[in-house]
Amino acid sequence: MRIAAVSYLNALPLTEGLASCDDVELFEGLPVDVAVRLAEQEADVALMPVAAAALLGDVSFVRGSAIGCRGAVESVLVLAECKPSEITELALDLSSRTSVVLARLVLKARFGVTPKLIGLPSREAIGFVGGTRAAVVIGDPALEVGDRFPLKLDLGAEWFAWTGLPFVFAAWCTYPQRLSREQEGLLHHARELGLGARASIAARFAETSSLPKERLEHYLRESIRYEFGVDEQAGLQRFFDEAASAGFLPKTLVRLLDVERSRPSLPPSLDGILARGAEGKRLSVAEGERLFHEASLFDLGLAADAVRLRKHPHGVVTYIVDRNVNYTNVCTTSCRFCAFYRPVGHSEGYVLSREVLGAKLQEVVDAGGVQILLQGGLNPELPLTWYEDTFRWMKSTYGLGLHALSPEEILHLAELEKLPVRTVLERLRAAGLDSVPGGGAEILVDRVRRHIAKAKCRSDEWLGVMRTAHQMGLRSSCTMMYGTVDTPRERILHLAKLRELQDETGGFTAFFCWDYQYEKGVRLAPGENGTLTYLRTQAIGRLMLDNVDHVGASWVTQGPAVGQVALRFGADDFGSVMFEENVVSSAGTTFRMNAGTMEERIHAAGFKAARRNVRYDWLTTPV
Amino acid sequence: MTAPTLATITTKVHAGERLTADDALALFLEPDLLAIGQLANFVREKRHGDRTFFNKNMRVEVTNVCMASCLFCSFAKLEAHMPGAHTMSLDEAWRELETRMDDPPGEIHVVNGLHPGLPFSYYEELLKGYKRIKPDVHLKCFTGVEIHFFAQHYKMTVREVLDRLVLAGLDSLPGGGAEIFHPDVRKRISDDKATGDEWLEVHRVAHAMGLRSNATMLYGHVETFEHRVDHLLKLRELQDETKGFQAFIPLAFHPDGNGMKNLPAPTAVDDLRTLSISRLVLDNFDHIKAYWVSSTPKIAQVALRFGADDMDGTIVHETIYHAAGSTSPQGLLYGDLVRLIREAGRTPVERDTLYNVVREFAPNEVPEGAMKVRDRKAQKHLAVLP
Repeated sequence: MRIAAVSYLNALPLTEGLASCDDVELFEGLPVDVAVRLAEQEADVALMPVAAAALLGDVSFVRGSAIGCRGAVESVLVLAECKPSEITELALDLSSRTSVVLARLVLKARFGVTPKLIGLPSREAIGFVGGTRAAVVIGDPALEVGDRFPLKLDLGAEWFAWTGLPFVFAAWCTYPQRLSREQEGLLHHARELGLGARASIAARFAETSSLPKERLEHYLRESIRYEFGVDEQAGLQRFFDEAASAGFLPKTLVRLLDVERSRPSLPPSLDGILARGAEGKRLSVAEGERLFHEASLFDLGLAADAVRLRKHPHGVVTYIVDRNVNYTNVCTTSCRFCAFYRPVGHSEGYVLSREVLGAKLQEVVDAGGVQILLQGGLNPELPLTWYEDTFRWMKSTYGLGLHALSPEEILHLAELEKLPVRTVLERLRAAGLDSVPGGGAEILVDRVRRHIAKAKCRSDEWLGVMRTAHQMGLRSSCTMMYGTVDTPRERILHLAKLRELQDETGGFTAFFCWDYQYEKGVRLAPGENGTLTYLRTQAIGRLMLDNVDHVGASWVTQGPAVGQVALRFGADDFGSVMFEENVVSSAGTTFRMNAGTMEERIHAAGFKAARRNVRYDWLTTPV
Repeated sequence: MTAPTLATITTKVHAGERLTADDALALFLEPDLLAIGQLANFVREKRHGDRTFFNKNMRVEVTNVCMASCLFCSFAKLEAHMPGAHTMSLDEAWRELETRMDDPPGEIHVVNGLHPGLPFSYYEELLKGYKRIKPDVHLKCFTGVEIHFFAQHYKMTVREVLDRLVLAGLDSLPGGGAEIFHPDVRKRISDDKATGDEWLEVHRVAHAMGLRSNATMLYGHVETFEHRVDHLLKLRELQDETKGFQAFIPLAFHPDGNGMKNLPAPTAVDDLRTLSISRLVLDNFDHIKAYWVSSTPKIAQVALRFGADDMDGTIVHETIYHAAGSTSPQGLLYGDLVRLIREAGRTPVERDTLYNVVREFAPNEVPEGAMKVRDRKAQKHLAVLP
């Protein structure tokens, strides 16, 4: 049995007993990783936060054990120096989704406030408190905090005062076909062992903690409750309902494993999912996957078009006049799907000289362009100073916006220079970087990445660069290249991960997707893609990414004709007028469009056209 | 009588009622492309389910010398001595088939310019030769415009022309040359060839002889939506009378290198809209064809959800649209067509010209010699035959 569980102290009473069982493979990690393991079928059962369960949407809960509280929990607090009703800003660890949702619900329902969220780890969040600034503090720092702050709201107690119900933070989640009755019995057995061992768990944990053993043991015995009975289920369902109506989580039903085994609950109707999606409500991974498999082209298109219309009721489709410049094709990653790169030392390798770069940029200026999109290979011969010098020169000479360097390139520079990502980004920004393109995301599921681009960064690294960039105020786009070895579920997980980060940072401006552009000679064969899959995928992207403002049609890969049709499948942007592009065109796809033709096609699709900048501000009056 | 709306039209379509000219016009003016597509898809799936037809065919254009001077044409060279003018010898024309006898087409589709200097026997010999090489090949040759030209030029009746060609091996007529029937448009774009009525008359005569044919409409140039509706209704009327049409093929105007090069080409949204409306209006046509040469294979895939149930065929070597700037490949491999249909979620059915089933594909069956998706090494995204 493969088990994934969150690696927190309060989970140990449920998981510790399992380590000694035969045939148990235990993975302990962060909530998101645990959820992804279950979703990707790398775990049979997962002890995970309930918000992550709602994100997946179709999991069954194992009756009997969970991590929760009935009243005060001690380890999930809101701290402030003001009254709760005066809180204007709230710092919190955004990766702890369940406590974020709980805090927002409680503050709204009990005190009528909707503070602005600031993502910070718990220890840093404490330092943020002051004036009307509050913090959600979880885990050890919460247990340690004592009575330092005038306001200390225990969210477990607040929840109980509000609803009269227990709160469930995490529970065992699985699928009926994946966990046998015997295996389920093992979880119960482990719980009995673990509950009996709370004293020793506390003692062991105390060795590396600043908290005394007694305090920890009290926490595990009195504050945390490990039941998952009727009351807990009711509390969980109430939480799901409140979160769904506030739009924080997908609509979720608490399904119980033993009930699902004998009498599977009906899946939500397809029409219901589409209607919720069209209204901009949050969809779960399971719902997204169902849309992928079952919704008709037209249902998806109409629902995505409805979202587009609600987000952009003015009926304007934007485009940008910019130029894609690939400054080097020398690259060390050797991705299996890439026809553009040349290894170090190859006779066809190049780095563009200033003369060539300058000529290209001048053409953009002459054509009324507003920025360049600068991307290239991971060339070990170009140090950070090359980028800084080049950026400064470009900025001072041509004054164009600099939308440059995908996360992969940033990570490469960080590694090459042995500097933190943040420092690299800060130096690049000081040299002129304006925004970060969302390329290289491919599919943010490591199974896929390992297969198609072994040397490329892991999905959490890609997301980490974007998080840092967004925290610094740099905006970026996000992308998806599907159609290699990825499954529909992996595509949906990719979207869910982007959505998760967007909740945290709000830094993504737009989403673009395209299918893998295969070319003869490239080592990776394509999956079954086709134009309809493109239109469906883009529409599903529009429905899943409820918190991303814009969706662009990728006419460069699909051709102007399909790109135009895609405007009726949820897109409100037509991408870029293309001067040149080398990566996709190395794969044999070459399309060109100038501004006039772009506007003609936008009009023929029934929209007004406006030029935009990288932040999607209109630069021209829509016509 | 109130003006038709999408709702009244939807009710009619679901009830199987015939759409009026006003209905058709309302659809052309309706902004909601997806709603129209969905309606057309409803009709298409009611008639054919997921089945999508294609055939193994070959285009031959034996001469581009042409007495007509159509504004939309980038193919024809007016006179035989002009640069680029070319007329195949019979041997050359036959060789097109001979060299492909290891994997022969089931149909040869011949379309030509209106050459004033060839004897009628050239055409008879052409057909006879093809039948000599492959007796069971289906000859779908000469548009209504060419047949009309033969009648005038060789001083015969249409019936006589057709009788002689049938004797030489003609099996059916292609649907080209229809352009836009309405005289106001035809006068402007092609006033020196068969009129709309004359084109329709050729097909009427052919149908009466038991020959089947197709019909087309060249849209997106100087015509109005009213002209398109008029065109579709004329076809529907003749079809009511004869039932001889098999498929309707909307053809998008391509502007490169012809007398209307300043006009923009219709865009994909118009292509899909026109195709969908054709499906809805032509309730007595069995098949609506997405001609991938005109629309690109990618849009043809989408068209399979907007009313089309036929992908035409392998074509092999198309030159007329390519002279006008088509960026589609000149031919598709059999396996490519199967894959394109599959990717669109439809079931491929290989047919002959008369829509007899040659091969039904089981779900997930991959044709022999076609690339399997995972080890498709030899082909670029869409192969172009030499």
